[in-house]
Amino acid sequence: MNTLLDRLATDFGIYDISDRKPAITTLKVEKQQAERLIRELRDREGYTHLNFITCIDYIEQGIFTLVYMLHNYGDKSTLGVEVDIDRENAEMTSIHTLWAQAWTYQRELREMFGINFPGSPRQEEDFCLEGWDDIPPMRREFNTKTYSTETFGHREGRVSEDPREHMKAQLYPTRGGDN
Amino acid sequence: MSLKDLLSPFFVWQRAFEKPWTNMRPIEERPGAPAYRGFHINLADSCIGCGSCHTICQNEAIDMVPVEEFSGRPGDSGLRPRFDYGRCCWCALCVDICTANSLHMSNEYTWLARDPTDYHFTAGVEEKPWQDSELGYHRAEGYHLYPPKRIDMDMLTADESVQSFDEVVNGYSEEQAKLEADRCVECGICVATCPAHMDVPDYIRSIRDGDFETGLQLMYRTNPFPATCGRICTHRCEEVCPVGITGQPIAIRWLKRFIVDQVDSIDYARILDSEIIENGHKVAVIGAGPGGLSAAYYLRKKGYSVTVYESQETGGGMLRYGVPSYRLPDDALDKDIDYIISVGVDIRYNTIIGKDVMFEDLLGEYDAIFLSTGLSVPSSMRINGEDHPRVLSGLQVLADVARGKDPGIGRKVAVIGGGNVAMDAARVSRRLGADVDILYRRRISEMPADPEEIKESQEEKCNLVEKAIPVEIMDTGSKKQVTIKWGEAEMVQDPKGGRPRPVLQEDRMHTETYDCIISAIGQGSNLDFITPAVQEQLAIEWGKFTPGEYQRSELEKIFVGGDVANRTADAISAIEDGHHAARGIDRFLKPGAYAEN
Ligand SMILES: Cc1cc2nc3c(=O)[nH]c(=O)nc-3n(C[C@H](O)[C@H](O)[C@H](O)COP(=O)(O)OP(=O)(O)OC[C@H]3O[C@@H](n4cnc5c(N)ncnc54)[C@H](O)[C@@H]3O)c2cc1C
Repeated sequence: MNTLLDRLATDFGIYDISDRKPAITTLKVEKQQAERLIRELRDREGYTHLNFITCIDYIEQGIFTLVYMLHNYGDKSTLGVEVDIDRENAEMTSIHTLWAQAWTYQRELREMFGINFPGSPRQEEDFCLEGWDDIPPMRREFNTKTYSTETFGHREGRVSEDPREHMKAQLYPTRGGDN
Repeated sequence: MSLKDLLSPFFVWQRAFEKPWTNMRPIEERPGAPAYRGFHINLADSCIGCGSCHTICQNEAIDMVPVEEFSGRPGDSGLRPRFDYGRCCWCALCVDICTANSLHMSNEYTWLARDPTDYHFTAGVEEKPWQDSELGYHRAEGYHLYPPKRIDMDMLTADESVQSFDEVVNGYSEEQAKLEADRCVECGICVATCPAHMDVPDYIRSIRDGDFETGLQLMYRTNPFPATCGRICTHRCEEVCPVGITGQPIAIRWLKRFIVDQVDSIDYARILDSEIIENGHKVAVIGAGPGGLSAAYYLRKKGYSVTVYESQETGGGMLRYGVPSYRLPDDALDKDIDYIISVGVDIRYNTIIGKDVMFEDLLGEYDAIFLSTGLSVPSSMRINGEDHPRVLSGLQVLADVARGKDPGIGRKVAVIGGGNVAMDAARVSRRLGADVDILYRRRISEMPADPEEIKESQEEKCNLVEKAIPVEIMDTGSKKQVTIKWGEAEMVQDPKGGRPRPVLQEDRMHTETYDCIISAIGQGSNLDFITPAVQEQLAIEWGKFTPGEYQRSELEKIFVGGDVANRTADAISAIEDGHHAARGIDRFLKPGAYAEN
């Protein structure tokens, strides 16, 4: 593994290599190098299986980190290839040409995060959020609580008490701030 | 009609005798996966009703509802979470945030009811078949949504601290304070425990927002001694902080101090002042300790003309003459007191009530009196030779040091006692260059002193001798030394179930000679300034008042508070007593303003 990583560092400029779990290593690569690196891993290094593609929203840094999880059946190792892309007009090269099933993940990422994969089949279609009319819900600026308050009705007769106010009423009604 | 139509009923009937294609329910047991996020389990007895589950729930599926059997438990809101399964999406954030680690999810996922309103229940309170299930989703060991450990406080090392009276605790930087503030779940459980019911979650939020002026305003709603309490408060709030159940409690005290340290006293007036509308009433306060000055501050804010009578040359009471400056530097205490004076509180220093001004005169002259004269008389050890000139009182030693006077303790000192005064006297003695033995009659674990004080005393190389009972003080013939005879104690169970009693072992006696012995086993009040005729009308037990509602004594004009009227004898209780008396005096003198409408 180490010789492989050394070579990839030279050839593709991978960085931030870390062993997350036994047999799972993650590494980072620049967006421009990503597709070439993944292709190389599939064709030359035995990472023939695409486990999944996922995304993490680092809103504070203005980036999405895409994670391509690749598996090597030969030595049972897993590599997570991480790619940072801009959150604004987020776009990434499609890899459905490498693994046909990648389009499914890409369609999901488009729906949940609003990331575009030009050329990826059926990009525009709803995936599991039929009739969704808000911003993609996995983007962190999406406020789940506001959405659920505005969208879903409440059961009759529900009341909730605030712990602090409840304790004040029970234990020290004549004391505290506003008395 | 076709032949097929004609025959079809018979085909259907024929099916009735075949083995059915559908299955009867239940099909077979199909348990959820071992870590499945199914129906909720709450260990209602461990739950403290902090409501973090309610707050984090993005679907508003959780209400906090009162449950009678948990009402009134210390550090417990008496509320428990009630789940609306019409809205739950099984994300388990509620389990992940649960401060008490009482909330879990079973792997059960089938529940049939005819009435849809049934899917709404108070977990752990209403019987459910899955309550005892072991399988299901539990928060992984070590996994927390907030950092369980507090941000370390920068402190002098013990080697450094004994060299001087410099403040030991350095205080948080802004970055540290924000990180620490970020750990707060804002449940507000601590507010009930704080004797002054300070708005803790709100001022902690002001740190997160970087808005320290709002933080200061929030603190002054309930406590005009934030610089002081941010350093030496007994911080009972931290004992109930839910984050402390599975981690370390929020450093509430240090965060309070942080806010005060950020605001320059020059800006206090601009931030805190509000218009004072004089109401024409006059109130006298006896004692310029935290109790007296807190009452004075809140009375003044309500428009009273307030005169504080103080026997000493400056204010602060035991905070000035007891608590050593390495824990509470004078400038921090002065920051608090100067602001109280600035709102128009008149303090008459060097004025002893009962001598310079008579108590009855105050009674005649003022509309109400608040009395917070503290405990200034050292308790007696009740052993022979106690009046030896080389037996000093802890209070005297501390007061001398506070005034910059050498208490003349020598190089080898024994401190008798196990409370905070004993720890302070011992640590002060170390700073004056003495070797210190602390003799305590029970076990170290039973010492009434704050655990942090005990730990720091030990780090500063005070030698703690537990189960040591003083028996006699003996003269050595030298004016500079004194001998103490003490015996070892055995702890004996109390047959009545009280705490174990130390019993002197006559055959295990020790004698040791010291340069002085500092007695610090407690203190009592001096209420001689109150004329006997008035004293008779007041219920005074063991030198202490037993105030009624709003700190009122048996005489309608006299309100009492602080150490001389409470059991907790700490600054924050005195501050609340003073504030509460101000509320009471206002109700007494302006009853119209409180009339039920
Ligand atoms: C050594 C020591 C360490 C302590 N450490 C802590 C700590 O870490 N944290 C904490 O919360 N608490 C601590 N305390 C306790 C705290 O100081 C007291 O609880 C608090 O000061 C009580 O306030 P008070 O207003 O009731 O009385 P005091 O602070 O005792 O003030 C009473 C005032 O009344 C004046 N007075 C009394 N009689 C008369 C009279 N006849 N005429 C005029 N004036 C009079 C006194 O001079 C004094 O200034 C400590 C106490 C001591 C002694």
